[in-house]
Amino acid sequence: MWATNLKVVGIVLGTLALYTLIANKIPQVQSEVPQTLTLGANVTPEQLVAAGEKVFNGIGGCTTCHGLGTRAPNLLTDEKGTGPIGARCGKREAGKDCKQYLYESLDDPKAYVVAGYQPIMPVMTKQLSPPQVWSVIAFLESEGGTVDVTASDIPASSSTSTTSTTSTTPGGGGGGGSGGFAGGSADPKAIIQAAGCLACHKLDGQGQVIAPDLTHVGSRRDAESIRKKILDPASSIAKGYEKLAGIMPKTFGTMMSAAQLEALAQYLAAHK
Amino acid sequence: MTEHWSLALQVAADTTRAYGEFPLIGARAAVWIAAEVHLMFAAFVLGVPMFAVVAEAIGIVGKDARYDRLAKEFTRLLLVAYSATAIWGAILVFILATLWMKPWAYLTAVFAPSMWLYAALFFCESFTLYLYYYGWDRWKYGRPKWGHWGLGLLLNLWGTIVMFIANSWLTYMMTPPRDVTPSTDPATIKLWHAIANATWMPINVHRLIANVVFGGAIVAAYASYRFLAAKTDEERAHYDWMGYVGNFIAISALIVLPFAGYWLGREIYQYDQSMGITMMGGFMSWLWVIQAFLIAVLFLTGNYYLWIGMGRIPGAERFRPYTKWLLVVLVLGAIVWGTPHTMIADSKELAAMGGSHHPFLGALGVMSAKNTAVNLMILTTFLSFLMYRRANTRPVVPWAGTGTIIQGAMFAVAAGVVLFYGIRGYFVEAIVRIGFSVYQVLAVLSCIVFVTLIDILMARGAQSLGAIQWGKMPPRSQYALFILAVTFTWLMGLMGFARSGIRQYWHVWQVVQDTSKYAATPALGYASKMISLCVLIFLTLVAFVFWLGGLAEKSTFVSPGESAGGGRHVGH
Repeated sequence: MWATNLKVVGIVLGTLALYTLIANKIPQVQSEVPQTLTLGANVTPEQLVAAGEKVFNGIGGCTTCHGLGTRAPNLLTDEKGTGPIGARCGKREAGKDCKQYLYESLDDPKAYVVAGYQPIMPVMTKQLSPPQVWSVIAFLESEGGTVDVTASDIPASSSTSTTSTTSTTPGGGGGGGSGGFAGGSADPKAIIQAAGCLACHKLDGQGQVIAPDLTHVGSRRDAESIRKKILDPASSIAKGYEKLAGIMPKTFGTMMSAAQLEALAQYLAAHK
Repeated sequence: MTEHWSLALQVAADTTRAYGEFPLIGARAAVWIAAEVHLMFAAFVLGVPMFAVVAEAIGIVGKDARYDRLAKEFTRLLLVAYSATAIWGAILVFILATLWMKPWAYLTAVFAPSMWLYAALFFCESFTLYLYYYGWDRWKYGRPKWGHWGLGLLLNLWGTIVMFIANSWLTYMMTPPRDVTPSTDPATIKLWHAIANATWMPINVHRLIANVVFGGAIVAAYASYRFLAAKTDEERAHYDWMGYVGNFIAISALIVLPFAGYWLGREIYQYDQSMGITMMGGFMSWLWVIQAFLIAVLFLTGNYYLWIGMGRIPGAERFRPYTKWLLVVLVLGAIVWGTPHTMIADSKELAAMGGSHHPFLGALGVMSAKNTAVNLMILTTFLSFLMYRRANTRPVVPWAGTGTIIQGAMFAVAAGVVLFYGIRGYFVEAIVRIGFSVYQVLAVLSCIVFVTLIDILMARGAQSLGAIQWGKMPPRSQYALFILAVTFTWLMGLMGFARSGIRQYWHVWQVVQDTSKYAATPALGYASKMISLCVLIFLTLVAFVFWLGGLAEKSTFVSPGESAGGGRHVGH
C-alpha cells in the first residue's frame, strides 16, 4: 500500500511541478501600478528613451495592438523594407517630420491612418501625461532613427513631475488635475479641446459621432442636467446610446475646476 | 456634499491603517491562500450534492441500489468537507479583517445585510446536510425516500443561494454598477443594485457548472484511490464504476463550460473594453496558452481513461483500431489550440521571431484555427464516449444500419461546418469572424444532442455482447484520474487568478484603488507557485477528509459475524 501511496503522491507533485515549471518558463509580465514620471529640465535623450520604452511596454498598453501587426502596424520591426518606426516615421506624411508625425499619431490618431488598418487607435494624449507622451515619441524615434525630442518639447507646466492616473482610464492623464484643463482657462472651447470631448462627440460640425452630437444639446438638456451628466456620466443615458453606457470617463468632473464646469455647462446649454 | 464625502474618505484612508502585514509569507500570500483554499472546498461541497441528488434519483427510479450507495458515499464525504469549508471561511474572514481593512470595510458597508443572510443560510445548509445524511437509512424506502430526496434538493437550493450571494461580492469588485464612482458613499448604494451587477449572473452560471466538473473530478480521484487500495474484487468493481461515473460527469460538464465562459468574457468586454483587452491581449495573454495546455491535458487524459476502460468491455475490440486516429486529432487540436498569438512581445522577441507572428505557426494562433481545433476535440471526445457506450451492445432494431449511417453523417456535417467556418474566418473581418464561432458551436452541440438521441433509440432491446467487467482496469487508468483531478483543481486556481487579476491595482474596478505595497498584479510565474501551493494544501486536506470518512465507515459497517470478535472491517 505504501508503494501505491508514494506513486499517488509522486503523480500529484509531478503534475504540480510540471505546470509550475511551464508557467515560470514563459515570459513573465507583471501589471504595474502607474508611477510618477519625473523628467528634469536637463533630461537626456537616453533618459527619455528609457522612460518611453517603459511606458510603451507597460502602462501605455501600446503592445496590445502594435505588438501584433494585425490590429495596428508593428512599430518595432521592419515594414516592407522601410525599417522600424524610427526609420519610416519621417516619410509617412508629406510635410511632417518624424517628431510631428508621431505626436500627431498620439494626439489625433485619426488624422492619418496607415493603409490596411482600422482607425481604432485611442487618443493617447488623453491617457498619458505629456512627459509620458514625449518619452514614448523619443523611444519610437530611437527604433531605427534619431532622437530629437528634448525637454523643451514637454510643456513647462508638466516637465518636472507628472503623475499618470491609470493605464486604462481615458481622460485620466494630462490636461486635467487640480488646476483644471487648458491651464485652468474658463474658455469653454479651450476646455472642450483640452478635455478631448470631440474625440467622441460632435459639436458645430467638428468631432466624432461615437457619442451624442452636442450641437443642439441645449434643446435636450438644461445646464443643470449637463453639469450632472459631466459629473456622473451614468446618471442618464441618451436614447440610442444605451450600449455605449459607461464609455464616457467618470473623471472629468474631478479634473476641472468648478468655474470651468460651470462655464462648460452654460456654454453647452446655450447650444439650442 | 459629494466632494466633502470624497475628502472624508481620503482623510480616513490616509489616517487609518488600511492594510496589515502577515509574517513570513506576506499579506498577499496569506489572503490568496485563505481565499483559494476556501473556494476549492466550497466548490467541492457545492458540486458533490448536485450529483448526489441526481444519483439518488436514478437509484429510486431505476431501482438500482448501486446509485443509492454511490449517492450516500458522496454525501458522507461532504460531512467533514463542510467543516473544512467553514473553517477556511472563518480563516478568510479573519485574514480580511486584519490584513485587508480598507477594501473589507468598503465591502461590508455595501453588502452587510447579504453577509448576515449568508451566515444564516450556511446554518440552514449545514443542518439540512446532517438531516440528509443521518436520515438516509431511516427514510430509505417508499414515500419517505422521496421526502429524503427532497432534502437533497433543499440542500442544493441553500448551497446555490449561498454561492450566488458570495459571487455578488466578488463580481461587484470586478464590475461595479456604472453609477458608482470613487466619491459614492458605499452606505448609500442599494443592495440589489450592487448585487445585480454586469458579471454576477455569468459568474453564477459558470461556477455552477464548474462546481459539477470539480466535484466529479475529486470524487473520481477518491474512487481511484479506493480502487487501488481495494482488497476484494467486489470493492474494486464498485470503485471502478464510481470513478467512471465521476469522470463521466466531470468531462460532460466540462464540454458545456466554455460556453458559459464565452458569456462571461462578453460581459466583461461590454462592461469595459480595456478590462477585456487586459484579459485577452494584455499582460494576461500568456495565461491563455497555459490554459490551453491544461485543457489539452484534460482532453487527452479523459480520452485515455475511456480507451483503457474499453479493455474491460466485451466487444470493444472492434473499435480499438479507431482510437489511434482519435488520438491524432486530439494531439493536432491541442497543438493548434496552444499556439501563441496575441502575445505581448518586446523588440528583441519580435526581432527573434522575424515579425509580429511566427512565420509558420502564426496562422494557427488565430481564433479561426483555435475554435476549429477545440470544436473538433469536443467532437472527438464525444465519439470516444459513443464508442465506449456502444462497445458491448449490438443494435437489433431494423433501422440500425441506417441509424449508424445517419449518425456518421451528422458527425461529418458537424466537422464540415466547423472546418468551413474555420477556413472562411481567415477571409473576413474580425467582427464577422467572431460570429462564426456561434455556428461552429451550434453544429457541435446539435451533433451531440441528435446523435445521442438516435443512439438511445437504437439501443432499445440491443443484443448484449457481455457485461462490463467492472474492476478489471489496469492501475495506470486510475492514475489518469488523479492527473485529471489535479489539473481541474489547478485550472480552477488559474482562472481565479485571471478573474481577480484583471482588476489590476483596483480593489473595486475604478472605484476603490489598491494602495498597498501589493497593488501590482504579479506575473504568471509567481501566480503558478501560489496556485500549486493552494492545490497542494487543498488535496492534502481532502486526503485527510477522505481518510476520516473511511474511519467512520469502518467503525459503522462491521459484518455481523465478525462484530463479536472485533475482527476485520468489511465496510466497502
